[in-house]
Amino acid sequence: MTANFYRYARFVARRERVASLVWIAALTLSFAGIAAMYPGLFPTKESLLSLTATLNTPAMVAMMGPVYGLERINPAIAMSQECLQWFAIAMAVMNIFFVNRHTRVDEELGRHEMLASLPVGRLTGSAAVITAAFVLDVAISLLSAIGIIILKTEGVTATGALVYTFSIGMQGFVFAAITLLAAQLFSTARGCIGSSFALLGLSYVMRASGDMSGNVLSAISPMGLGLKVEAFYTNAFWPIAALLAEGVVITLVALVVNTRRDVGAGIFAARKGKQNASRFLQSPFGFAWRLSCGSFIAWAVAFLVLGAMYGTVIGELDSFVKGNDMIRQMIESQGATASLAEAFLPMLCGIMAMLAAIPVIGAITRLRIEEKRGRMEQIYARAVSRAAMFASFATIAVVEAAVFTLLSTVGLYATSQSTGLLSLKTLAGAAFVYLPAILTLAGVAAVLVGLLPKLISLTWALVCYAFLMMYFGRLFDVPQWAVRISPFGNVPQLPVQEFRAAPLVALCVIAFALTVAGYFAGYRRRDIAA
Amino acid sequence: MSVVQISRLAKNFGKFTALNGVNLSVEQGEVHAFLGPNGAGKSTTIRCLLGILRPTSGEAALFGQDAWTHAVELHKRLAYVPGDVNLWDNLTGGEVIDLFLSLRGTRPDMKRRKEYLDRFELDPSKKCRTYSKGNRQKVALIAAFASDAELFIFDEPTSGLDPLLEKVFQDCVSEVKAQGKSMLLSSHIMSEVEKLADSVSIIKEGRIILNGSMEETVVRGASLEDLFLSEYDGRARA
Repeated sequence: MTANFYRYARFVARRERVASLVWIAALTLSFAGIAAMYPGLFPTKESLLSLTATLNTPAMVAMMGPVYGLERINPAIAMSQECLQWFAIAMAVMNIFFVNRHTRVDEELGRHEMLASLPVGRLTGSAAVITAAFVLDVAISLLSAIGIIILKTEGVTATGALVYTFSIGMQGFVFAAITLLAAQLFSTARGCIGSSFALLGLSYVMRASGDMSGNVLSAISPMGLGLKVEAFYTNAFWPIAALLAEGVVITLVALVVNTRRDVGAGIFAARKGKQNASRFLQSPFGFAWRLSCGSFIAWAVAFLVLGAMYGTVIGELDSFVKGNDMIRQMIESQGATASLAEAFLPMLCGIMAMLAAIPVIGAITRLRIEEKRGRMEQIYARAVSRAAMFASFATIAVVEAAVFTLLSTVGLYATSQSTGLLSLKTLAGAAFVYLPAILTLAGVAAVLVGLLPKLISLTWALVCYAFLMMYFGRLFDVPQWAVRISPFGNVPQLPVQEFRAAPLVALCVIAFALTVAGYFAGYRRRDIAA
Repeated sequence: MSVVQISRLAKNFGKFTALNGVNLSVEQGEVHAFLGPNGAGKSTTIRCLLGILRPTSGEAALFGQDAWTHAVELHKRLAYVPGDVNLWDNLTGGEVIDLFLSLRGTRPDMKRRKEYLDRFELDPSKKCRTYSKGNRQKVALIAAFASDAELFIFDEPTSGLDPLLEKVFQDCVSEVKAQGKSMLLSSHIMSEVEKLADSVSIIKEGRIILNGSMEETVVRGASLEDLFLSEYDGRARA
């Protein structure tokens, strides 16, 4: 079943030569680099304790995971508490793309068939890919552990570093296995990727709700399990062993399913489509919409669920504060008139807005992806203007941004209204104030699609930057200008801060100007890739 | 012993019947043409022969061995070229050819590789993402001809090739045939088939409707193309 395994695995490695080195370098450097930063960020015991006090609130537990090691708090523990989960998500994303690329994508494009006609076993491909993913995960874990140990951050022990990085690595491996299984179940690469990301999201939601209410959900979720290592404190090995076992079992199931299905087919058959195109589809906008609507619906559901989840967090804030004198003092000492719920609202809305930027940017970059795959040629060979297509995708982006913001507000309101803490008007204000920032990122995507299509990934770099600023900008003293580079850094924090229209109008103007420039200076006159 | 022996082969995809009792055989040293319109079941038959699809019922055997059970061993003795070749963007054509050759379990014969690279005029140092359809097709053809396969399975191998390269392809097929090797050739180019093939099978809606040697088959119509069209005429008129 796995004849020619080594040659095949070498071939996978060869295909990934550059990409995997980039991943290894990027992840190792950021894991170790952040570790080196922490002592500087929290020089005193007091600063660490005030950080953990912030972290030890329901909203933050839901977002970041449970707090541990208070009595022995040091920079290493603080780092693990704040970063492990997000690095695990990055690792999972890498694994999902890696496995999908070598399974369903190959199968969909008919490359798998050529390999299958050679003397390779039926399971060689799957086995080689999952092995390669595992090796990559272990390599990144080992190298970053070594990096962290060498950098000798205060509180770092060798065991702690290994537990920390291998928890990240093995969570990645579990998602590689999940993707391998999804590749057997779904007959398209889209279905495979989509379901894997859905499970990643579900895993986060399960962890959050499990950690909030202290139930078993968080131990079932790979992400919850990964946090139970309590790196640099108890240094538990069993969660890593459990993750490894989970990954191996899912892999075995995937391999069994693989032997039972036809090549090109999935377990869930593709549905039959329509016989005719509707009138709507026959227009440029309808066509653009049709390409976007699948992901639109999936994200719409996700924002409703996410909003509802954060809404329950708001409900629990108050009861939590009643029993916690220190936090009450903290809030009162800030002289804030705002309630705890109001104080947390801008952060929740900011995170959801940042997430909403991802599909909104995706709606614009789809134009470029279609072009790169050589499909726009088919469209422009007909009586369709570039303006019509460009405007269609831009319109979809704006609509998506508004709808996602609305749905997260509705979700927040649905689960928090019973507490009576926040009115619908407050919630809507706090959420919609971020809309211009989302549109600005979409504008950046639009100008790049038009003028510098090869650098389109800069948009994603900006998203990462905005995320880091939102995240670290709150915790650390980041210079004001650095925060302001991110569009999200210019948004007034309703309801804590005063509403100011000027920055929002400016963001809208920038977004519009970028989009118009992208079209007139770029897209209208440049070559369309064949 | 027939090199390819298919009897009563059936394949269902859910409720859809793709193959409904296909019988076909290719003898040693023979070029066997496999014709039929799009969707008739040619590629499904070929994928069953490659052990990529598992037959619902019936048998597909190569060199007297079951194509599903002995897939890996059998694949060392055959070379396959699909009609729609997709390659890996970041590998060069030369790398893909070496991969295909070395996955067969033998050391690639560099002299033969060079010979076919020259004949098909392919620059092996270019990344696959820069190749046109015809060039990607060449990569697969070179990997096939440069191997020491005994059986060639070609599924519309010349789609995308220019007339000059099609001539090169036909020469290569003749040489392979002269060495006593066998070939199952599915194609839509009737003139090509007429020139190369010794025998022919025509498939329609998952069944073989005509099977015979090239001479006696062509006698029944003025040319292979006329014959093909008349076999399907019923559909056209209906």
